[in-house]
Amino acid sequence: MDQGSGAMNPEEALLFAADAARVMLESGGETYRAEDTAVAVAGALGGAEADCYATPTGVTISFVGMDGRVHSIVRRIKRRVMHLERVALVEEISRSLVAGTRDFRAAADELGRVEGLRGRGMAASSAAAAAGAGFFTLLFGGAWNDALVAAATGALVSRFPPVMARRQMPDFFTNLVAGAATTLLCLAARRFGLATNADATVIGALMLLVPGIAVTNAIRDTIAGDLVAGVARGADAFMSAAAISVGAGAAYQLWRLAGGAL
Amino acid sequence: MMGPLEPLWAGLATAGFATMFNLRSRDVPLAAAGGALGWAVAAPLQAATGSQATAYCAAAVVIGIWAELLAAIQKRPASVYIACGIIPLVPGGGMYYTMLEYVRGNSWNGLATAFSTLQAAGAIAVGLAVSGAASRLLSLRKIGRRIRGSPRGGRTIR
Repeated sequence: MDQGSGAMNPEEALLFAADAARVMLESGGETYRAEDTAVAVAGALGGAEADCYATPTGVTISFVGMDGRVHSIVRRIKRRVMHLERVALVEEISRSLVAGTRDFRAAADELGRVEGLRGRGMAASSAAAAAGAGFFTLLFGGAWNDALVAAATGALVSRFPPVMARRQMPDFFTNLVAGAATTLLCLAARRFGLATNADATVIGALMLLVPGIAVTNAIRDTIAGDLVAGVARGADAFMSAAAISVGAGAAYQLWRLAGGAL
Repeated sequence: MMGPLEPLWAGLATAGFATMFNLRSRDVPLAAAGGALGWAVAAPLQAATGSQATAYCAAAVVIGIWAELLAAIQKRPASVYIACGIIPLVPGGGMYYTMLEYVRGNSWNGLATAFSTLQAAGAIAVGLAVSGAASRLLSLRKIGRRIRGSPRGGRTIR
């Protein structure tokens, strides 16, 4: 963020609004929320007739400044990782800016801080993944041993997407390999007598990968009238689901070829 | 039939996901309660009506209202609680069974499962839309503000 003093100019306001919307979309905020935030912020910073068009893959904002000139900016969004704390904080920044309880400099600093916020550490997120997978297995009718296998698999496999993202691997490939690895680990665990209910075990562990929220959000966006965003999210969800299915399916076929029962 | 502990498992699974989604620690139990609540509504209703869509839609309404209440009290966007609360309902199992049917070569069963999976997601989305509209009509924000005891509220959230 620009640290200069003096009056804020339209360019700064526009950059700030665009960054607020971008951080929100990158962190799993809804499309309309990102749009509302950008418009509210741009309006509060002196832009008349501000408008924002957001999709999961990009934001476009334009407004007419006090001087009557038209300003606009495009921000591309490449990565989307769930970080709900960021969504809440950006919302809070935009509200305080609109209410006038925070000035532009403070808001810009805060937005920079929020963008730099790291997720939880490896230990905490692995434990959370284990809990998510294990309890889902119980919910789907698995027994305690199934839940433990799913938890271990989930903790292991949840380490995988961040590593792949750092190496700039496409999500499709990540999901494919993660789906296959999850399925193979669970089937192997059943083969060695650690798990009994393979379906519940695999579902619990796969729950960490499967784009259930993405499908739901795609429909929610469409209901809210953000048609392009909804269709884009739907396509994203479909590709993830397809990749996981191909991976898991390949793992099943391999398992069968190797003589294992389904 | 719903096992007596199922809402507990649903809540704990939600807590795991909420932590993974980097929800603030003190919000995690609140979001988890939403997940448990949703399952406690959905499971018996599905058993009683035999319709997954009805059950999930009703549960999503309850989760949505719970999230709006929390949002008003905690002064945070409702969507952070919604994203976690719907986790137990979200059709991950359906996607898995769809895949399984295709792998086993039962394309027609796979298609049917895929459709019911989409239906479940749609039912959740509709339920959330209903609860969003209802909370605006009933001005839950005002109630939340009263509970919080603060005179000023934030910008209205759609």
